[in-house]
Amino acid sequence: MAPNLISEPAVDAAVKRVHAIMSGVFDTVAKVRQATLDQVEAARRSGREPLAADLEGLRPLLFSELRPLLFSQLRGGIAGLGFIAAPGLLPDEPWFLEWWQPTPSGQPVQLIRDLDPASSAFYDYTHWDWYTGPSSGAERTICGPFVDYLCTDDYGFTFSVPVRVEGAFIGVAAADMLLRSFESAVAPELRRIPVTAFVVNSSGRVITSNTARWLAGTVFRGAPGVTTHPIGDLPLSLVTIAGRGRTSG
Amino acid sequence: MVYDSSRLAVFMPVNSTGRVDAVFRRLTDVITLGLLNDGEQLPSEAELAGQMGVSTVTLREALMALRQQGLLETRRGRGGGSFVRIPSSPIAPDLSTRLRGYGTHELRDFGDHYMAIASAVAFLAAQRALPSDLAPLRRSLEEMAAAGSPASRGRLDGRFHIEIAAASQSARLAQDEISLQAELGSLLWTAHEQAEGREKLLTQHRDIVEAVASGNAEQAQHLAGHHVLDAIGHLIEVRLRDGEEEADGAEPDQ
Repeated sequence: MAPNLISEPAVDAAVKRVHAIMSGVFDTVAKVRQATLDQVEAARRSGREPLAADLEGLRPLLFSELRPLLFSQLRGGIAGLGFIAAPGLLPDEPWFLEWWQPTPSGQPVQLIRDLDPASSAFYDYTHWDWYTGPSSGAERTICGPFVDYLCTDDYGFTFSVPVRVEGAFIGVAAADMLLRSFESAVAPELRRIPVTAFVVNSSGRVITSNTARWLAGTVFRGAPGVTTHPIGDLPLSLVTIAGRGRTSG
Repeated sequence: MVYDSSRLAVFMPVNSTGRVDAVFRRLTDVITLGLLNDGEQLPSEAELAGQMGVSTVTLREALMALRQQGLLETRRGRGGGSFVRIPSSPIAPDLSTRLRGYGTHELRDFGDHYMAIASAVAFLAAQRALPSDLAPLRRSLEEMAAAGSPASRGRLDGRFHIEIAAASQSARLAQDEISLQAELGSLLWTAHEQAEGREKLLTQHRDIVEAVASGNAEQAQHLAGHHVLDAIGHLIEVRLRDGEEEADGAEPDQ
C-alpha cells in the first residue's frame, strides 16, 4: 500500500521550506508596497500629486533589502526590487519605475526611467503578467519561471502585489528571484523525499525537481500515482509520485 | 521583470577578453533592437564604466565606435552627454554598410546558425509553451498586422522571434536569438517582407504560432527553420543586387 505522503515528514518539510521562501519574498514586497504608500500619501497630504522624486524615498528600504547578508536565507536571492507605477500616476513621468538590482560589488544599480512605449517595441509593461495580475485584483502574483530576456538575462520569477490608495490601483510592488537561488534553497528538502517530487506552478510548469525526469521549464500534464500537495495559499504545489524511487523517476 | 531592467543586464560586468568589442557589441545589440529608447541619455562615462566593470578608456573606445555607427550622439556642454540614436529605418545607411561588410557565404553561414537556433527554440516552445507564453506572441502578431511602417514592423518582428525563444524556457537560446536578431535581424525581416509581401510574412508568423500553440513540435521546428532560410535567401539577393550597383557605379579601369 502506498504511504500517505501528505503526512510524510519529508514532504511537509519541503512544503514548509517552499512556503517560507516565497513568503519571505512577499514580505519584502509588502515592505516596498508600504513604503510606496507612505510616499504617495505624504505627497497627497501636502496637496499635490506624487512625483518621481518622491519615490526616491524608497531607496533606503530597497538598498537594505538588496543587501545580500540580510538575505542569507535566500543566498542573495532577490535579483531586482522596486515599484512600477500605473501609467499616468506621476504627472512628471507617465511611465515610471523605481527599480534596483544587486550587483556583485554589493552596490545596487538603478534602472532607467524613460519607458515611453511609443519609441520602443518592448516597454509597455502593462501587458506583462506581473502587472496584469495585480492590476486586475490578484493580491499575490507569482510569474514564472520565465526567461527574463530583457533584465536578468536568466530564468526566474517575478513576485508582485498591487499598491492601492483608498481602493484605487496605483501600481505594482515587485521583486525578481532567479530560479537558481530558489532551487539551491529548496534542494536539500526535496532530496530528502524518497520518491519523485517536484514543485510546479499553477499552470503546471515544473519549477524544481529531485529527478532529471521532470526538469525545470517543462510542463507537467499529469501522471499516474500523483499526489498534489498545496503550498499554503500560494499558486504552487508540490507533486509527489508514489511507488517510484526518485532516481528511476 | 522585463523592461527597463534591460539596462541592468546590459551594464553587467563584462568579463570576456576583447572588452572594447564586448562593450560595443552589447550596446549595439540593445540599441538596434530598440531595448534602449531613442534619445535616451546614457549614464556618465565613469558611471557606465563602473557598472560594466571596464576601464573608462575601454568604455570610451566602445562609445567612439558606436558614434561612428551613428547609434550614439554626443552633445557637449551643460545638459550634454551620450544619447542613444535609433536608426529611423532598418535600412539606414549604416546598416546597408553593415550588409556590404558580409560576403554572401557569411550571410549564408549566419542563416545556418540562425536556422539552427530558430528551429530549436520553436521545437522546444511547442513542447513547453503555456497560455501565458502564447499571449505575447498573439499580441505581437496583431501589432505586426496593424503596424504602419516597415521600421516598426521590423522591430515587432524582432520582438516576436525573441518571444518564441523565451517560450522555449531556455535562457541561453534566448540570448543567442537576441544576438542574432541584433546582428542582422532588422535587415533580414525587411528583405523578407519586400520579397514575399506583407501578407505572406504574416501568414508564416501565424503558422509558426499555431504550430507552437498546438504542441506540434516537429511542425513548429520545420516552419521556423524554413522561415529563416527563406529570409536569408532574400537577404543574400539584396546583397548581390547591392554588389551589382557598386560594380556599375565603379570607374571601369579602377
